[in-house]
Amino acid sequence: MNVSPRFLGRGSWLSRRDPRLLIVGLALFVFSVVQVWDVRLLAVLATIAAVYYRSAAIPFRAVRLQWAYVLFFVSFVVIANTLLTGGELGDSGADLHVYFRLPLLNTAISAESLTYALAQYMRFLSMAAVGFPIAFAIAPGDIGPAFARLGLPYKFAYALELTFRFVPSLAVDMQTTIDAQRIRGYEWERIGRGPIGKLRRTIPLLVPVTMNAIVGAEDTIDAMDLRGFGTGKRTWLRALAFDRSDRLALLAFLVLFVTFTILSLTGHTRLWVPPFLLPAS
Amino acid sequence: MTATTMPAQKMWQISARTVVYAAIGAALYAVAAQFSFLLPGTANVSLRPGFALVTFFGFAFGPVVGLFTGLVGNAVADQISGWGLLTSWNWSIANGVVGLLTGLLAASLVRSIPNRIVLSVVAPAIAVVIGFVIIFSDVWLGTAKDFGVAFADNYGPVVIADLIVACILTPVLVTAWDPIRESMGR
Repeated sequence: MNVSPRFLGRGSWLSRRDPRLLIVGLALFVFSVVQVWDVRLLAVLATIAAVYYRSAAIPFRAVRLQWAYVLFFVSFVVIANTLLTGGELGDSGADLHVYFRLPLLNTAISAESLTYALAQYMRFLSMAAVGFPIAFAIAPGDIGPAFARLGLPYKFAYALELTFRFVPSLAVDMQTTIDAQRIRGYEWERIGRGPIGKLRRTIPLLVPVTMNAIVGAEDTIDAMDLRGFGTGKRTWLRALAFDRSDRLALLAFLVLFVTFTILSLTGHTRLWVPPFLLPAS
Repeated sequence: MTATTMPAQKMWQISARTVVYAAIGAALYAVAAQFSFLLPGTANVSLRPGFALVTFFGFAFGPVVGLFTGLVGNAVADQISGWGLLTSWNWSIANGVVGLLTGLLAASLVRSIPNRIVLSVVAPAIAVVIGFVIIFSDVWLGTAKDFGVAFADNYGPVVIADLIVACILTPVLVTAWDPIRESMGR
């Protein structure tokens, strides 16, 4: 299990940016995307997301498992939504153009439901593409200072920094415990009897890892107490500063958000069905 | 076994201990969330044993630690899997609220339910049912088309799965933690 933060985008244009840009940019992009259903506008957003992702220079071989997970999960959400909505799309403003109905479920597969599914794919994949650089193009040590400089209370920012630092060591502890229990005859992979049985099989893993982590945390707590943590405002060793490129990129994200908010408020982002999908009448 | 209470003023205090326990909880949840399995007989209900860490940390260390464990742990877990830190931000908030409510309920129900093991089942159960109401925001975000879909596809499955996990594993973790806590003098 490798869950260590990997700085795969090291040296890329995006990795040289102030990490606050990646966090604020993602938030602005996500809030822009969630307002849009028109696939033409989503194509624009997807293109922006692709260019942004390319600027992080993340090698595909290193993240193909993560992309496979995203594709699987997005497909699941899209299929479930398409099947459960039954083609009834209230905000399309028009009658459905039904191709056929699915046997058993009687779900209508229409031009509108297919466009809706496509729009969902584009929305999720765009958001994932802009989200990936946070994992792979920010130096792990910059997470805490970035959130602190974004205005988060320093105790919260420090807890966030500690979380990212603890993840690799706790993953190693988890693997060590799996190996140690395996020597005693425990097999995580073996199927338990029913959901309760399966949950019970996780107890020999979850309990020792959790208790060891809590007991081991005493050293960190003592070290922080001895250094007077919480007695005054904390400063960070890593200094962050926006340069011209950061400001321009941030402005671009802001313009994007404002533009799509106006388009949404004026009703220009609703579901649009490509004419070639409409059956000839 | 009787319950111990956390004084109200101490509940919201953020010390080095709170910060470290919160970080440990979030990191553990992020790592443990990579393990999950499908509930037999269902299409999309997966049990995540790691979710018990959210309710356990809220129960054992208070609402602030519970909130952080759920909120940040879920976001970091999404980040590790490739889904993205903020893509499902409303689900991360829901997880955080479950941790927060578990801590609050554990403190407020302690007089009504003096048995700590029973309390460690009841508090997380109520917190899960209330906390995950936040994921109905999927309708606004467009992840679910309407409230019916959000209930059938998101809220119902996640509440069933997390109720099973929280009600079984939280008391187990509390039972393991209590003697250690006493030996540490906490």
